[in-house]
Amino acid sequence: MENDELDSEEFEDFEDEEFTRDLVVPGEILTEDIVNFLPGRGTILNEKKDKIISLNIGLKKITKNYINVIPLRGFYTPRPGDKVIALIVDKNPVKYRCDINAKDFAILKPKNTFKRSKIKTRGRIEKDTGDTSTEKYSIGDILITKIISADRLNMPELTTVGKYLGKRSNGIVISIDTPKIPRVIGRSGSMIKLLKNLTKCHIFVTQNGRIWLKGEDLAHEKLLIDAIKKIEKEAHTVGLTDRMSEYIENEKKKRGIN
Amino acid sequence: MTLLIKDEYPEKLFREDGKRLDGRDLKELRPIKLEVGILNNADGSAYLEWGNNKIFAAVYGPREVHPHHLAKPDKGILRVFYRMATFSVFERKRPAPGRREKEISMIITDCLEPVLFLELYPGTSFEVFIDVIEADGGTRCASTTVAALALADAGIPMKSLVSSVAVGKIDGKIVVDLSGIEDKAGEADLPCAITWFNEEISLLQFDGDMDLNELDTFLKLAKDALKEIYEMQLNALKSKYITIQEKYNGGQVKQ
Repeated sequence: MENDELDSEEFEDFEDEEFTRDLVVPGEILTEDIVNFLPGRGTILNEKKDKIISLNIGLKKITKNYINVIPLRGFYTPRPGDKVIALIVDKNPVKYRCDINAKDFAILKPKNTFKRSKIKTRGRIEKDTGDTSTEKYSIGDILITKIISADRLNMPELTTVGKYLGKRSNGIVISIDTPKIPRVIGRSGSMIKLLKNLTKCHIFVTQNGRIWLKGEDLAHEKLLIDAIKKIEKEAHTVGLTDRMSEYIENEKKKRGIN
Repeated sequence: MTLLIKDEYPEKLFREDGKRLDGRDLKELRPIKLEVGILNNADGSAYLEWGNNKIFAAVYGPREVHPHHLAKPDKGILRVFYRMATFSVFERKRPAPGRREKEISMIITDCLEPVLFLELYPGTSFEVFIDVIEADGGTRCASTTVAALALADAGIPMKSLVSSVAVGKIDGKIVVDLSGIEDKAGEADLPCAITWFNEEISLLQFDGDMDLNELDTFLKLAKDALKEIYEMQLNALKSKYITIQEKYNGGQVKQ
């Protein structure tokens, strides 16, 4: 249940703590110097092409000569390779329909729910192993899945074959604002390591804004949920990691847990 | 049913000291209070108090379109639902959406569409629900202003915000931001909205008697008022985050 294996490239956004933290809103002019700067993520050139304007409410960040806006609010757009927590809402003999907190439901086909291996008898391939019907999971199950295909028009497709993927029958799933997920991970996983060490919980953070967690007892789990909610609320402030360790230590004393 | 109190308008819409009935100058706006992120169950929300108007706006999306035949294969759609509460006006308003509500929903949709990137979300819809809790003139302008704010709060990519205000003519004088009585008893009423990324007029309606030569004066006055409203919108959007930032930086926003 480790999160360290997650591709850190996806979570680069909040990397540098001490970066410029200018709050910008849609339509705000970021710069009029279009010779030295290029519009990056969350920005656009205006019609006369002499100004770079922001598209989102977020924080302005300059990397090299690109001006980016890191959004503070937004919705989840599925991308291939993302790990997501899915809830099965419907199934029929050929596929499951899953809620992944995106605009469309995702599809999970039975062939993607087991590892493909061929049985060889006398050197000839006889048949596939595994069941190709939708018997394995039932409606209401929580799965940790990976997106194998997603685009603007079609429903995303999921797989449960891979490391850490599959059904979760215990633990708690909470959901937070999607743009604040990078902050829960922290710079190269610093925040999530801190949370794990201090609350002794297993955590799995996914890109669609859902977090699976399981601790020793309910008190630890409650503390972790409160801590994550605090991170969500204060995602745009500086020095959050230090403040969080302080907060958890204080709360532990207050609640009488160790 | 007999009306207990008749709808009567005062003969003069100006006081003896030259100010308007509610004590405002000609170019003065009513007091405006804006707040964002107040509804927990909506993706984005905003609340506005503009004089006696009290309006909530909630945004959902992008999500599936119901009924499904409204969905477009090449772009998303924006749907605005403007509704007035039964208790929002003096006489009880019938709760069913009438001609006026459908019209205002439509004009707000057309007004907000140019700032959104609907072509990026084919087959989906963005839904804006505007509820007028208390009405006192100029609700279509107030609704446009608050709807733009709610869209920005939802994190939907926008080219800019949209601001809106009404300009009118009462007792032969041009005034900004008409109240309920001035709207009904006055001579002319011209609601307009602006999209700030290209400074184009996005909404322009007209009702009453006016000289065409006066249109320029009307629009000039409107733009000054709109700039004032735009500043308030920016402050409302930022203040939600800045208060938290200030709390942890000793009262100062760290740059």
